[in-house]
Amino acid sequence: MTPREEISEPTIDELASTLAEIDADGALQETAEAAFGGTRAAFLQRSLAAAAAAAGGLFAANSADAADVATTKNDIAMLRFDLVLEYLQAGFYTEAERLGALTPKTLGWARVVGAHERAHVVALKRLLGRKTVPSPTFNYGSVTTREQAFIRTAVGFEDLTAALLKWQAPRLDSRSVVAAAITLHSVETRHAAWIRHLIGLQPAARAFDKPASQARMARLIASTNFVSAQPQLAGRSRPRLTG
Amino acid sequence: MHPTAGTENADSARRSTRRALLRGGLVVGGAFAVGGGAFGWRAGAATPAPSAATDQQILNFALVLERLQAAFYTAAVDDDALRGELREFAEIVGGHEREHVAFLEKALGSNADSQPTFEFGSATREEKAFLDAAVLLENTGVAAYNGQAANLTKKSLAAAAEIVSVEGRHAAWISDLAGQHPAPRAADPGATADDVAATLQRTGFIKEQ
Repeated sequence: MTPREEISEPTIDELASTLAEIDADGALQETAEAAFGGTRAAFLQRSLAAAAAAAGGLFAANSADAADVATTKNDIAMLRFDLVLEYLQAGFYTEAERLGALTPKTLGWARVVGAHERAHVVALKRLLGRKTVPSPTFNYGSVTTREQAFIRTAVGFEDLTAALLKWQAPRLDSRSVVAAAITLHSVETRHAAWIRHLIGLQPAARAFDKPASQARMARLIASTNFVSAQPQLAGRSRPRLTG
Repeated sequence: MHPTAGTENADSARRSTRRALLRGGLVVGGAFAVGGGAFGWRAGAATPAPSAATDQQILNFALVLERLQAAFYTAAVDDDALRGELREFAEIVGGHEREHVAFLEKALGSNADSQPTFEFGSATREEKAFLDAAVLLENTGVAAYNGQAANLTKKSLAAAAEIVSVEGRHAAWISDLAGQHPAPRAADPGATADDVAATLQRTGFIKEQ
């Protein structure tokens, strides 16, 4: 195994900036060119087909329109942010299911939604291909075993993830990525409405749902203190950090 | 009833639906059909860059759907057959759909198409028929917007995302009330305009453009 630079426990501010990181050092640009080169079209085609298959096993593997697909630095940064958020949620629901301390109704919800978020993780990883990021380590404390705390957090996760995807949609470069991300977006709003309905909150409180920026989401995620260690960024996309 | 009468009515409804929905050329296997395949990107499809002209077609397409939904819930409340939370759903969601209609009409201005005529039969007067129709209309709304998202300009996409978000909530809510799965899949695939037209044809709700 390749030795890696140790990363110390991050502060909240560091965490927020990690989540919002837009590849400030430019390493991504270099590796994007190296990785895609002439095989770029085939790579993206594979990624899209695999992502589609993962997100519900719904779609036939089609050819991507190579001329229209572009994995830009901007899109990669947004998809990476989404991936970390999906890791966070998938881990949260999976732990709640494993510990089994919630009411049967809430556990039933967590089981379905957890499966969806795990599928979203797979879909986003495939979309990112070699530009994927590993999962941070999470510590949810006792929130996954306390009914009210769990529900409050779940409502927040679902409402805010949908708001984030809404913010990102018109900011994405690739139309293929837009087409993919939007199919996840409405599922998050379904999750939000569903859990709200379960607990007697208004499932659809207004006619238009407003977006929430990535920076705002990063602050909110940090405020939960659920992320106990940031991702190991010293992967193959940053070889100069290897020892 | 004469044995052919039903067929004639169905044919008439089918023609009206297609006319109403696909007037702008938003049609079959079309130039900007998104939603059929792997996240909707069709091999070799000529997918023109988003433009004001394409936005206009898509927003008019969405307007038919929103007007249909708004008219449906308004009629259901007027017919006074729903009770309890189902009535509450029709009142609240009807209000949202009317806001969506107003938004789209404003965005389209003088380019907004004329309103079709709708006829809902027992779907607004009988609980089970209402549930079936509402689940179908909300799920179809989600699929229709998702299918066109990548064809919109950034400005229209931002607005459509705020709307489809709420359609997804409606779909989950009414599905839960109907005893169906609120979120049956990990991804909500987009539908092509043609698929949406075919789905709405089968309801027979759209009579005249």
